[in-house]
Amino acid sequence: MIDLISILQQPDVRPIRLFPLTDPERWVAILDSKGQEVACIEDPATLDATQRAALDAALAKRHFVPVIRRILMITRAPDGHDWLVETDRGTTTFRIETDESIQSLGSGRIVIIDKLGTRYLVPKITDLDRDSRRKLERYY
Amino acid sequence: MTRTAFTGLSTVVFHLTLPHASPNENPETLLQNAEKRLVTGERIIARLFTDLDWNLHFHAGLIVLTNLRLLHVELAQFQAWKLEEVQDLTLEEMGATAAIHLMQADSSVWHWRITVGHVREVEAFLAKLKEQRGTVTSETEAAVDEEDVFSVEEPETKTSTGQPLVRLFKFSSKWYKLMLLGFVLTVASTASGLIGPWLTMSLVDEVLIPLQTATSDVLIGRVYHFVLMLAGAAVLTWLLQWATTYVISRVAERVTSHMRRATFEHLQKLSLTYFNKKRTGDLISRIGSDTDNISLFISVNFIDFACDVMTILFTAVILFSLNPMLALAAIGPLPIVAWLVQWVRSHLRGGFAAASRAWSAMNSVLSDTIPGVRVVKAFAQEQREIDRFREQDQQIFDTNDRVNRTWSFFEPTISLLTDIGLLVIWGAGAWSVAYEHTTVGVLTGFVLYVGRFYGKLDSMSRFVASAQRAASSAHRIFDILDVKPDMPITSGMLKVGRLSGAIEFRGIKFRHGSRQIIRGIDLKIAPGEMIGLVGPSGAGKTTLVNLACRFFDVSEGAVLVDGHDLREIDVVDYRRNLGLVLQEPYLFFGTIAENIAYGKPDATRTEIIAAAKAARAHDFILKLTDAYDSMVGERGQQLSGGERQRISIARALLVNPAILILDEATSSVDTETEREIQAALDHLVKGRTTIAIAHRLGTLCKANRLVVVDNGVISEIGTHEDLMNRSGTYARLHQAMVEVNQA
Repeated sequence: MIDLISILQQPDVRPIRLFPLTDPERWVAILDSKGQEVACIEDPATLDATQRAALDAALAKRHFVPVIRRILMITRAPDGHDWLVETDRGTTTFRIETDESIQSLGSGRIVIIDKLGTRYLVPKITDLDRDSRRKLERYY
Repeated sequence: MTRTAFTGLSTVVFHLTLPHASPNENPETLLQNAEKRLVTGERIIARLFTDLDWNLHFHAGLIVLTNLRLLHVELAQFQAWKLEEVQDLTLEEMGATAAIHLMQADSSVWHWRITVGHVREVEAFLAKLKEQRGTVTSETEAAVDEEDVFSVEEPETKTSTGQPLVRLFKFSSKWYKLMLLGFVLTVASTASGLIGPWLTMSLVDEVLIPLQTATSDVLIGRVYHFVLMLAGAAVLTWLLQWATTYVISRVAERVTSHMRRATFEHLQKLSLTYFNKKRTGDLISRIGSDTDNISLFISVNFIDFACDVMTILFTAVILFSLNPMLALAAIGPLPIVAWLVQWVRSHLRGGFAAASRAWSAMNSVLSDTIPGVRVVKAFAQEQREIDRFREQDQQIFDTNDRVNRTWSFFEPTISLLTDIGLLVIWGAGAWSVAYEHTTVGVLTGFVLYVGRFYGKLDSMSRFVASAQRAASSAHRIFDILDVKPDMPITSGMLKVGRLSGAIEFRGIKFRHGSRQIIRGIDLKIAPGEMIGLVGPSGAGKTTLVNLACRFFDVSEGAVLVDGHDLREIDVVDYRRNLGLVLQEPYLFFGTIAENIAYGKPDATRTEIIAAAKAARAHDFILKLTDAYDSMVGERGQQLSGGERQRISIARALLVNPAILILDEATSSVDTETEREIQAALDHLVKGRTTIAIAHRLGTLCKANRLVVVDNGVISEIGTHEDLMNRSGTYARLHQAMVEVNQA
């Protein structure tokens, strides 16, 4: 068994999700400062509590994929569309450039990549409220 | 018929339709002639029609192979050789034609000439001859299938045809219930649309006029009664039209959806040969926009047309039943309209055809320029492309402008004629009201009906154009559906399961069109062996690999895998044993994980990651923002050539193939990438039979044997060291390669 805690305490070591959009809960790789993989954890749930907590903390520092709960408004902008959305991390606006920035990941899961490269996730379109779905439908 | 003769049909049809062939020269006559010449106990084994004479003029002839003799049959000529006297028949290709020599004592004593398109049949015939001579010498009577030579099928023969619109109708007959319902609804909604004027007529005669003239007691309440009925008729019409439109659109959607699927499914079954011949854009537009045209035709134009015809019939009946004299006056201008429609149609037909040609010319500029935008920019040819586009666009403008000129004249003319028709009605009607007891109500009804009548004539004329468009679209779809796959999936039914990977090329030859690409190759590859194919470009390396994948079938000889002829094995089953890494790795639009798992969609994430690691792709994948979830392919992440290559290696690794086909990129990559790819490949080839079109030194040195292919034959075989020492073709090629790399 690898000593996760001491690995994570080393400088510049970072955990990476291998499937950040389709399976964020599992498959975490730990990279050293040179970008080499030092460990790969298939299922963090199998770790003991302290290791898990350390891993989650390290992941939480880096992971940023807001999950869209509601789409409040989509307006046409000169070079794309401005979205006003409510996410699990609060309400925000972002701009996407083309319809191609909205990508399907299969089984109703979509990811929206804004102009600046931030990913916004909709885990399941059917779970959105009717109003949001209508707004989304016009672009996706 | 004459046109199809030149698109490569089987011999029989070809001779039937030769433009200069006299009626007596048809194959049946020749065959009958041949049969008359048979002696007792003689039977026909195979036959071959020739299409040229010695001076290369078109002339029908027949060579017949019997169990005893070889016969030459022409209309006025007959020649026979005993089989024992025939040393051999040889085929000599001479560009667009070929000659078959009859050899006796090592010299040609007779020859036939044919166009080169029939060489495949000749080869089949020669094979029969060889077989028959074997039987003669061993004196065993084998039952030979007489029809064999006939059934040698030309690739992708087109069957056909019939009118595209009739076929379209047959195609949609599957949904006849829904269509019947749609038809009934159409009739009902048309009829209900005609109730309104009828009620108006009664309203005027029974209520309004009496009210005004106050000649009799009329209840004002009857007005409400009529208004209510009119409202009811309007609502009924609305409901029926709604139902009609919906039902018909549904049928149209069903038909086109079925058509799209059928076409795509059919396309997937066709061999690479077909795709090599077709332009991608053209196929896409056939499945996309042509089916759309058809859908529009069925759902909108056709239903409109049906309604129009019905309305015209109904109104005509109503008009005549009301007042024959007035009716006659009303439809007086009809012949003029009919003539006008015909005139416009003939003008438009050419116009539409020109417009769609101009349109596709513009499309081809687009599909040329947009994917090639890097080249355009690199050579600073933007202005030239703009000019090219402008020129094509001007064409569209001009043709459309011409069409519009006709249209713009046509529509107002129709409405002028309608107005004239109405004027006639008003005049004749007024006279009739004054002297002939026609009521004002009937006259009002007449005016309303006649208005409808002419309105429908106008929209009917539009139907002609859309029907023509739909017909040409249907034709383009059936064009694809009529292509028979040249390698029927059903031909080989042997299920092989997991192969060990022994491959044998046994005397194979391959011809593409008139070009002989493989001229006879014999090669045995042991399971797990790695073969490097080397040779100048155009030598036939890729063809050899394609034959091993069974993308094409050999013209002669056989490819054997684990001792089975490839043609007997189920293609799908066989290809499961196959891993392919191509020169230009193709990534589909989707995530990296999906791309790696392309050959095995149910692969677990563990397997995907393991494959990526083995292919040295894991590390760079981790550096992407979305790791394995990163989108790649046309609209996705830009990956470097080496990275794409490694993903395609991972893809091949994941299916764990018994046989690996490797087409190495000719372009050299940087040393670091080269090393990474090489490491990935080392993993991949381990324990698998590998055929590599090799360019990299690493692969060349690692291969168990290098096979040097030159001009369709093997010129050298050996290891890298062997061949270098021999200083033959390989040594020269290698020297050139090293020099290029150093330059």
